[in-house]
Amino acid sequence: MGENILALRNISKAFYGIKALSDVSIRVEKGEVLGIIGENGAGKSTLMNIVGGVLQPDSGDMLLYDQPYKPKNTMDANASKIAFIHQELNLCNNLTVAENIFLIDFPKINKIPYINKREMNRLAHEAIKAVGLQCPPDTLIEKLSQGERQLVEIAKAFSMDAQVIIFDEPTTSLTARETERLFKIIGDLKQKGRSIIYISHILSDIQKLTDRIVVLRDGNVTAEGTTSSFNIDSMIFNMIGRDMKHIYPERKNVVSDEKKVELVNITKKGIVSNINLHAHEGEVVGIFGLMGSGRTELMHIFFGLDSFESGEIKIKGKLKSKNTAVQSIKQGVAFVTENRREEGLMLEMTVLENLSFVAMPNLASRFLRFIDKSRIADKAAAISQRLRIKSGAIEKSAAKSLSGGNQQKVVIGKWLMTSPEIFIVDEPTRGIDVGAKFEVYSVINNLACDGAAVLVVSSEIEELMGICDRIYVMSRGEITGCVGQDEFDRETILRYAFGQCAFNKNASHESEVQQ
Amino acid sequence: MKRALSIVMLVVMFAVLVTACAPKPEPAAAPAPEATPAAAEQPAAEKKLKIAFAYQDLETEFWVAGHKAIVETLKAKGIEVIEFNANEDANKQLEQVNDAIAQKVDGIIIIPQDGESAVAIGEACNSAGIPFGVFNRPPSNKDAKALVAVADNVTISAKAMEHMALEARKVFEKTGKKVKPLVMVGDLGDPNAVGRYQGFKNVYEKNKDIFTEYIEVPTKWDSNTALANLKSAMAANKDVGLLFCGSDFLYPVIKSVLEPLGKWQKIGDPNHIIMGAVDGDMTAGKLMDEGYVDATAVQDLYYEAELILTGMLEAIEKGEKTPEKWMDDPGFALTQANMGEMKMRMWGNKLRQEKGEL
Amino acid sequence: MFLKGSPTERNKSDVKDLFVKVLLSEYFIVFFCLLIFVSLMPVTPHIASRANINNIMSNLWPLFIIAIGQTVVLIVAGIDLSQTSIIAITSVVGAAIMTSKADPTLFEKSPLWGWFLTESGGPLAGEPAAIYAAIFVMILIGVGIGCFNGFFIHKFKMPPFMVTLVSQMLFSALAIYLTKSENIIGLPKNFKAIGSGSIMKIIPYSMIFAIVVAVLAAILLNKTVLGKWLYLVGSNPKASAVIGVPTGKVIIFAYAFSGFCAAMGSVLLSARLIAGRPTLGQTMLMDVVGAAVIGGTSLFGGKGKVSWTLFGALFFVILANALNMMKLPFYVVDMAKGIVIIIAVAFDVLRIEIKRRTNVM
Repeated sequence: MGENILALRNISKAFYGIKALSDVSIRVEKGEVLGIIGENGAGKSTLMNIVGGVLQPDSGDMLLYDQPYKPKNTMDANASKIAFIHQELNLCNNLTVAENIFLIDFPKINKIPYINKREMNRLAHEAIKAVGLQCPPDTLIEKLSQGERQLVEIAKAFSMDAQVIIFDEPTTSLTARETERLFKIIGDLKQKGRSIIYISHILSDIQKLTDRIVVLRDGNVTAEGTTSSFNIDSMIFNMIGRDMKHIYPERKNVVSDEKKVELVNITKKGIVSNINLHAHEGEVVGIFGLMGSGRTELMHIFFGLDSFESGEIKIKGKLKSKNTAVQSIKQGVAFVTENRREEGLMLEMTVLENLSFVAMPNLASRFLRFIDKSRIADKAAAISQRLRIKSGAIEKSAAKSLSGGNQQKVVIGKWLMTSPEIFIVDEPTRGIDVGAKFEVYSVINNLACDGAAVLVVSSEIEELMGICDRIYVMSRGEITGCVGQDEFDRETILRYAFGQCAFNKNASHESEVQQ
Repeated sequence: MKRALSIVMLVVMFAVLVTACAPKPEPAAAPAPEATPAAAEQPAAEKKLKIAFAYQDLETEFWVAGHKAIVETLKAKGIEVIEFNANEDANKQLEQVNDAIAQKVDGIIIIPQDGESAVAIGEACNSAGIPFGVFNRPPSNKDAKALVAVADNVTISAKAMEHMALEARKVFEKTGKKVKPLVMVGDLGDPNAVGRYQGFKNVYEKNKDIFTEYIEVPTKWDSNTALANLKSAMAANKDVGLLFCGSDFLYPVIKSVLEPLGKWQKIGDPNHIIMGAVDGDMTAGKLMDEGYVDATAVQDLYYEAELILTGMLEAIEKGEKTPEKWMDDPGFALTQANMGEMKMRMWGNKLRQEKGEL
Repeated sequence: MFLKGSPTERNKSDVKDLFVKVLLSEYFIVFFCLLIFVSLMPVTPHIASRANINNIMSNLWPLFIIAIGQTVVLIVAGIDLSQTSIIAITSVVGAAIMTSKADPTLFEKSPLWGWFLTESGGPLAGEPAAIYAAIFVMILIGVGIGCFNGFFIHKFKMPPFMVTLVSQMLFSALAIYLTKSENIIGLPKNFKAIGSGSIMKIIPYSMIFAIVVAVLAAILLNKTVLGKWLYLVGSNPKASAVIGVPTGKVIIFAYAFSGFCAAMGSVLLSARLIAGRPTLGQTMLMDVVGAAVIGGTSLFGGKGKVSWTLFGALFFVILANALNMMKLPFYVVDMAKGIVIIIAVAFDVLRIEIKRRTNVM
């Protein structure tokens, strides 16, 4: 057992009478990676916010190097060399890399409040070199990719010589390659004797990366131990408090021969080229690709939110006449978008209202289109039951008050109101916990059982392999491969995703150049 | 709960509305029986009079002096004054006057934004049976019964312009070249501006033998508009020899345009432009003393204030509800020729004296 | 019950409850209005006189109508600064159609002179239908300018603030150009009745105008698909596009409706002053946007109600009236107005904060 750097003892915290943490004690050793897992609402973020000085505990205390540690705010935490890298990065996009790194404590000329720009850029250069970021320190943050921005956050932690670095869901918006690089850096940090607290939903990452694991459930520590003492199933068991036989629901859908959707040679310069793709009745089709492969863009084009230059889209054998969202909806296409909060929900409005929007015009009177509130309410109640949406009274609770999984169900539910036959589902499980994921998978599965064609876009291979009948793989705007259920294999799919094309050799050549 | 509350609120609102609206004819009729006996039984002095004074704005020296003249005279007579500033918004002035009517004032005096709104406001006062007076800027027609005190703009402008024409004739005789006149016209929605323009034109027509076609510069009674328009007019017409302006408050604008052109010169200088304007404020008085300005058409501000107040108080005393009287301020023209005898009759010079400038 | 403490204590908590309830009510601003009103009654008893309440009401209707239009635009997360110039230009054109006299010395230089406006008035001078035709044309122009705004905002993704600011300048200048800044008088007597007349001396015409517009707007916003779309586009344009809302048309509609309301307001205002005025409404913008926002409509879109706006407009009208009643020197009036508005807004922020906290609990 190594030396304890940070120890939390009997930490409790309640919000307005609701216990978020009760009697939690954990310790962090020098030079270790500690994984913290738990469902949403288990108390992980509250715990880390207490360590990071964002929140103060109601009772219990913390020791840093065996000294009492009582941060009143993030500044205190930073001064004690504890850095907290949030899921939503706290960077000012309009400032440069160097400015962001030294935002709290700019190097000044003597004591005059005048920023020593040269010194700042020099120090910043050192810090970003240490994390392997290759850009001049005066680059604006808005020009960087998500992964690079993350590196800036890490560089920030570096520059303050942080001994404990907390990562909260760092990989959600990273590409596979960026994730690999992040893991390598975390490895380096560990080598240098820094302690890392790593929070993630992606259990395989936890398994790969951490030395020890703490499992939280409902504000309590339910399990703690070395990573080798856990396997995925035991992690899940401790997280949700019951055994989960399968991560993915049993497949019962029957794929018929009828093509519900067909995309022929869809091309838009610089975005997608020559896309051929189809989905049958009752089929769940996955679309895998790394970030920037054009998968989301393709779905936008298919649904009519974006235009294309050549090719054709056939829905149920009929050529789509006008490529608009309105036309797609008319022809029975539903689009469950990637960003629930930004494109899927009216967060301030009630669940009922959110469910009603798509069907509203259909259920309105012919004359002047008055809304038929009772019909909508009946239908919404039925949908909410069918999807088992957990909320207060649907006509009262706001969408923002729901958990991620239930929010996702609302987004799916609003489309079910018009009984569409083709579903596009973009990143359906991003940011929702294991239990809720299962339910979302079941919903998708049931849709297919009812005869719908479902296109699932995801960046998690396992997820696609678990729920799909077929997977298309995209790379740089092209479809580089199509894998049937019997050939599902992580390596094959990744190879296609990195640009090794199953269909033509040019692409594979290119990929070599890239690598 | 919320719903119930909102329904209660609406019911209350509606109740207020109905009770407010139902006896509508009353307020118009009600003051009559009250007011007349009151006026008859008691001498006016015992009851403190309340007079509303609503003016369009206090932007120029002229209006500030006019405002002061009225308010001070009223206060001196022990009358309560309720002031309203409409910030150049006719609709706002109407609302303010309506508020004054609701307060049952004894009389209302306004300086209107323009002649048209004076009519609409006057009609409101007439139907409420409150004596209505208009100061300096007359209503555009006689639909509303009003006490009007106004300068005879046509005559005083013509008088000033006559002196300027004489000066122009001297120039014509000396050089043999016709003089080019320029006239700066005010907001033609204001009858005063129309009258002053007419006075200029009358004299111009009589002296066509020495004048070329005149240049008209619209100002809308606004310094910025005047500045822009005068600048371009002066650029296009370098040979302007006479300038007549609708109001003294534009002298700073005129100076700022003429000075860079070398045309802001004293009388006697070959580059001097014969100059005159209307109002008679302190600036005009000073410029005449210094010899830049040839003539000023003067409206007798204090006299006009006295006229309107006397008329108003008389009407109140007699119990007249809609008095109608047009009271002219004959005014005069102060010229370099009659400076000796007339100088101190100009209100601008009186103000200068008060301030110790003279 | 008996154990709850002494009666005074209970009363205290009741009073506190009531206070919190009032503060949290969505109609808080009504209570604020009542507060102003009641607290001024001892100082200026005239404020509660029938004549004055009448007066407050007649000042309320035009502002209310115009603010309804502004509310609809605010709901789609826009703003319409051009309402004031719509008021001006419709006033001028409407008056030009129905006037029965025009002074040649004033209008000779107007581009309308000769073919549209002559010495014997406008094209429909003296016609009994002139008023209806004029109102119809005014509405048409209002809606047209609204469509113009909406088109540029939607088609070229220009910021509403800039587009409507430009059209404010453009159409206000056009109104001045058309009449050479002159007021058009000589309007029919019946037109005047719209501004100050009433049915059987009980219900003013202006109130009927306002109620018709308000009911139309309330039905639109609460009962129709289009109404819900307005809220959707305002609160999340991206999500709206995904679920098949024709966002462009919805935005254009909102501005057109705002133009319609401005034109209706212009009818009332022109009728009150019995003239077509190219400068009409120029100083109203603050009150219009203020009425909508103080009522509770969000400047960020997605939130707003006709009833809220009614009370917001009432607030501004009562405030102006109260200040007029208080015999203050004129320079104090605007300062006092500013201070009271700040207090109202501060209360509003405070209550939103309290609401947020109680919600969390």
